[in-house]
Amino acid sequence: MQIYLPIAEMPVDPLIIVIMGAAVGFLSGMFGVSGGFLMTPLLIFFGIPPSIAVGTETAQIVASSVSGLSAHLRRSAVDFQMGWLLVGGGVAGSALGVGLFRYLRTVGAAETFVTAAYIVFLSVIGSLMLLESLSSILRQPKAGARRRRRRRTAWMAALPAPVRFRKSQLYISPIPPLVLGFLVGLLGAMLGVGGGFIMVPAMIYILQMPTNVVVGTSLFQITIVTAVTTVLHAAANQTVDVVLALLLIVGGVVGAQLGARVGVLLKAEQLRALLALVVLAVGIRLGFDLVLPPPEPFVVEEL
Amino acid sequence: MRALLAAALTFLAAAPARGAEIAVALTQTLVEVDAGFSGARLVLFGALSGVDPADLLRPANLDIVAVVKGPSTDFSIRPMQRQGIIWTRGAGAVLRGAPSILLTSATRPLDEFTTPALRRRLGLGAESVDFYPLLRISGDAISLFGGDGARRFVDAFLDAGRASGRYGEAAQAVSFRKGALFSIDVELPPTTPVGVYAVDVYLIRDAEVVSHDEASLTVSKVGVERQIYDIAHQRPIAYGIACVVIAVAAGLAGAAAFRK
Repeated sequence: MQIYLPIAEMPVDPLIIVIMGAAVGFLSGMFGVSGGFLMTPLLIFFGIPPSIAVGTETAQIVASSVSGLSAHLRRSAVDFQMGWLLVGGGVAGSALGVGLFRYLRTVGAAETFVTAAYIVFLSVIGSLMLLESLSSILRQPKAGARRRRRRRTAWMAALPAPVRFRKSQLYISPIPPLVLGFLVGLLGAMLGVGGGFIMVPAMIYILQMPTNVVVGTSLFQITIVTAVTTVLHAAANQTVDVVLALLLIVGGVVGAQLGARVGVLLKAEQLRALLALVVLAVGIRLGFDLVLPPPEPFVVEEL
Repeated sequence: MRALLAAALTFLAAAPARGAEIAVALTQTLVEVDAGFSGARLVLFGALSGVDPADLLRPANLDIVAVVKGPSTDFSIRPMQRQGIIWTRGAGAVLRGAPSILLTSATRPLDEFTTPALRRRLGLGAESVDFYPLLRISGDAISLFGGDGARRFVDAFLDAGRASGRYGEAAQAVSFRKGALFSIDVELPPTTPVGVYAVDVYLIRDAEVVSHDEASLTVSKVGVERQIYDIAHQRPIAYGIACVVIAVAAGLAGAAAFRK
């Protein structure tokens, strides 16, 4: 069976798309990430034009992150004060990202940019994750001997207009969260990712937020910023394919639930090492596309 | 005497073809691109009149050629270039107003019954279309390829067109039915663009057009796909908001369904 994607303007087998969504959803449920950084390259391998892969994937991330956010809202594990600041920065970053993406499309460089950015990005993230998880697997015995983290927030309090964040028990300037939100929003808009895997470590290690509100607050930011990004991509680039997004969401929702159930059976370090390997593999696969001679010496596109 | 007789016979044989006429009709004048669209087969039905049926059994004598031409569009053609270790798209050219589809179907290979001049005049086959006036090469590409650039770009365009099924020439593509009736099948590729298509059919003898007929065809998107495409392009902000609403609803529904 074939279904015609109205925006990508190509026929696809809907079952394959649903299975792809489920596979990435499974990984994302298992690892607790939104999975955009795996889904977008997969869509590109599948033949979806990179710009449509990026635009459509943002819509799917809205669905997967709102689904996670609903659970965190029930546990009231969201710092809204911090969340809105991150959203503010994120929306500005997203607007800039969509504008830059539009420019890259007009000069015909969007494809190379997306591929090259993904290679850099996946290799760096994958290597860091692999090193970190391997070292914690090797450092097994000291389980329970958790070091008390000393909060180093003085430099952030010294920046202009510090504010008290009750939920996060912080007294810092709004500038670092705004900048963090901005960078994640920019990245998300240009690469079709939610950015949780950058946001979460940055919230823990840079903003020094307590871990119990980190995931909920980052999901809050991702949901709203990717929602805005989706509308911006639709308005500026007409690259959001709603049929493709729905197929991915259907697969993703089911996959994520199954993945979450399998995830609890594995140890966190092993999970992270596994995810790191997947990330590296996708990066290397993309690298081949860019480094190997192209199958056709010319690219012909209808304008 | 013998020569005279031969001439007379030739004249007699040729005489019926003088008034030979070709007529063509499409089995469908509207091709609808819907959810299940993966290409379409277009069937042209035609009839010849004023022709000795015996001539039809000797196709070497009379030839039929049909050209399906899609609406004109612009194409960008960019070379892949090595920059450092990566391959990227370099400066290229734009082809303004080239036919989006050009499919030629004939009784025989074109060069067996037409002259280059006739092919150019009628636009038979992709090779006969003069793409050079349509080509706008960027300055960087001119310095890269030198005088050879235009030909390289046009060749690349034709190769891509043939690979995608948008351009093509088919010989032995006319099937003769009973008497003077014939049909031609033309395969439209899955990427068939929307618009109005011109279908021209020529009856050719001795590299001269004996008769010509034409028809037109409309390719349009229908159904939900059409509406989605229209809304996405005409009311992009509303479309974007609708996408977000759908995504949020689907995400919440999924979370609710699996909670227990």
